[in-house]
Amino acid sequence: MKLTSIRLCNFRSFYGKTPEITLAVGDVCNTTMIHGNNGAGKTSLLNAFTWVLYEKFSAAFASIEQLVNKRAIAEAKTGTPIECWVEIAWEHEGKRYRVKRQCRAYKNGSDCNISKTELLMQISGDDGRWYFPPQQPEEVIGQILPASLHQYFFFDGERIEEIVRSDKKAEIAEATKIFLGVEVINRSIRHLAEAKKSLENELKIIGNSEVRKLLKEQGKIELEIEKIKKRQTERIQELNYQQTFKKDTSARLQELSAAKELQSRRENLEKQKVYYQNQLRQTKEVIKKAISGRGYSVLLPELTAKFREIVTQSKQRGDLNSGISREFIDNLLKSGSCICGADLSTESHSCENVKTWLEKAGSSSVEEMVIRMSSQADEIDKQGIVFWEDIDREQARITRLRKNLSEIEAELDSIQEKLRKDPSEEIRSLQKRFDDIEKYITELTLEQGANQQQIANYNKELEILTKQVTKQKLNEEKQALAQRRIIATQDAIDRLTEVKLRQEKQFRLQLEKRVKEIFSEISFTPYIPKISEKYELTLVENTAGLEMPVAASTGENQILSLSFISSIIDRVREWSAKKMLMLTDSSTFPIVMDSPFGSLDEVYRRHIAKIVPSLANQLIILVTKTQWRGEVETEIAPRIGKEYVLIYYSSKPDCEQDYIELGGDRYPLVKQSPNEFEYTEIIEVDRDF
Amino acid sequence: MTKQDNINNVQEPIINAPAEVRQIIERVWQLEKSRLDKKSLSHINDDILAIVKEAVQ
Repeated sequence: MKLTSIRLCNFRSFYGKTPEITLAVGDVCNTTMIHGNNGAGKTSLLNAFTWVLYEKFSAAFASIEQLVNKRAIAEAKTGTPIECWVEIAWEHEGKRYRVKRQCRAYKNGSDCNISKTELLMQISGDDGRWYFPPQQPEEVIGQILPASLHQYFFFDGERIEEIVRSDKKAEIAEATKIFLGVEVINRSIRHLAEAKKSLENELKIIGNSEVRKLLKEQGKIELEIEKIKKRQTERIQELNYQQTFKKDTSARLQELSAAKELQSRRENLEKQKVYYQNQLRQTKEVIKKAISGRGYSVLLPELTAKFREIVTQSKQRGDLNSGISREFIDNLLKSGSCICGADLSTESHSCENVKTWLEKAGSSSVEEMVIRMSSQADEIDKQGIVFWEDIDREQARITRLRKNLSEIEAELDSIQEKLRKDPSEEIRSLQKRFDDIEKYITELTLEQGANQQQIANYNKELEILTKQVTKQKLNEEKQALAQRRIIATQDAIDRLTEVKLRQEKQFRLQLEKRVKEIFSEISFTPYIPKISEKYELTLVENTAGLEMPVAASTGENQILSLSFISSIIDRVREWSAKKMLMLTDSSTFPIVMDSPFGSLDEVYRRHIAKIVPSLANQLIILVTKTQWRGEVETEIAPRIGKEYVLIYYSSKPDCEQDYIELGGDRYPLVKQSPNEFEYTEIIEVDRDF
Repeated sequence: MTKQDNINNVQEPIINAPAEVRQIIERVWQLEKSRLDKKSLSHINDDILAIVKEAVQ
């Protein structure tokens, strides 16, 4: 960032619009000097920089509510807005920026209301065309020179030692960390960890609700099937047991002479019953097979009838005339002679005669096909008849079997009835047991069927679930992706943490080294600057191998602070050039200093004056006449690119006028105001650079 | 190892990172940097998630 110009309008002591204050941008002559007495507006000018860029003020800037020039307010009519703005221009990485912050004051009797400030920015690239940035102007400025760092670049020299004051240390350390990019790394690590947590939650959601639910459901059904199957096995065993029991009971009945005959008849009947039942089952099976295999044949006669109708119609029309075939006539015409030997060459009379037969004659191949199809149609019709005959036969068989079965059952019933009413109690009780077993067997058989049905249903459900789980395979891919993202995020966190560790150590050590170098160049004390792990700056003394903190003077602290700022700028410039993760990719920095040589001794003033212009790329120094003394002028003069004087117009009736001599010319510093208002004017010094 | 090497070494974990991880780091870094001076600090999680999801596909 290289500041190119600044312009003010009704900003504090500056009445109306100032001329554009062009700033020095040269490599050697990089310093802009601004002279002004106390109260002339040096601090206002410093704050014009911080206000336009960040809407911030330095600590020494009193009564910020009185931002608008008093004379402008006094002269304005009630209700007319008074404009107050600062416009600044700079160059950064091949682009030119123009930023204007403005607010309006409205006089309301003795009161004055100030509107909210407004920030406008325009940028111009290589082609010189100006455009509005797509981002917010604040954002653009923040990316070039972050607001949190502004105190390093725009500072009040008389208060600079605040950097090392104990109550400011933490704040400055924080700003340093931000500047060095440490804070951004910290935030990146913290926010990446949060993102990782979100990714893990996403994974949980994918895994849980889909596959897990399905698998759980599947497991439940499988368990149910297992249960039913177990029960089924038990039922089968029970059924077998009951069958044996039934056999035993039968055997016992047969042993009894009174029941013997009846019982053996019953057994015989039951055997017959089973036989007939089997016969019945087989017959039904035969019918089923016949229907599925040949059932269609009964639906075909309609079609064969239609076919015959078509054939009959064709024959009636003569399409299917037997006798001479079309193919036969074709052959005669092709050979050019008739079977009688007559010439059939083209255009001969006989040829024409034969040709007329082409229309009358049917095709032998079509005829052949009709004959073949007719016999097939006859066959189909026969099939239908055979089918019905077969079915009728099987149905008759079923009726017969059913009749047999019902006869057997009736006889069995009567036998049972007889046994139930038998005078012998033993027989009766055996029959009762027999009945009970029968009833139980029926129950068991029914349950078996129901269980089988249920297993079939569950299997169907399982099949559907398995299909759904397969579908979730896609989801599994998603899960794998989520896993990979989590791993990558963790890797990023680990690497950033490692960089942070290395950076903390390296940056701090290098920064400390540079501070030491600069400090020892300026200061004649044996004190050593130290930067703690928390980036806090202290001055220590090495007494007999022991490091002790120093109770440094304001002057020492000012030097320390300046060394610190210079070192930071110096390091950041170097690290940015190496493409390190620095907060700013800029390697050019301006410094605007108000009264930097305040209370320093001559030697220090000389050293600082000598060093500072070489540390920052661009320097804007605001000084009083007393601060601009011989040694400072001697050191800085060769670096001056632009020079201005702030003329203070005092409203005091008999104020003492003051002048400054610059480059052999006298410039007024304090003048009598032509009216009742005090204000400041800025004029350029015409030095022969 | 000289000091120069050391300072170059600082970035080594990022330089040697797999492409997707490096992309995540660099983009998150830029995002955090641009947000440093912003007053409202909401929704960064969504932005970071978007970066990760875009980098790892």
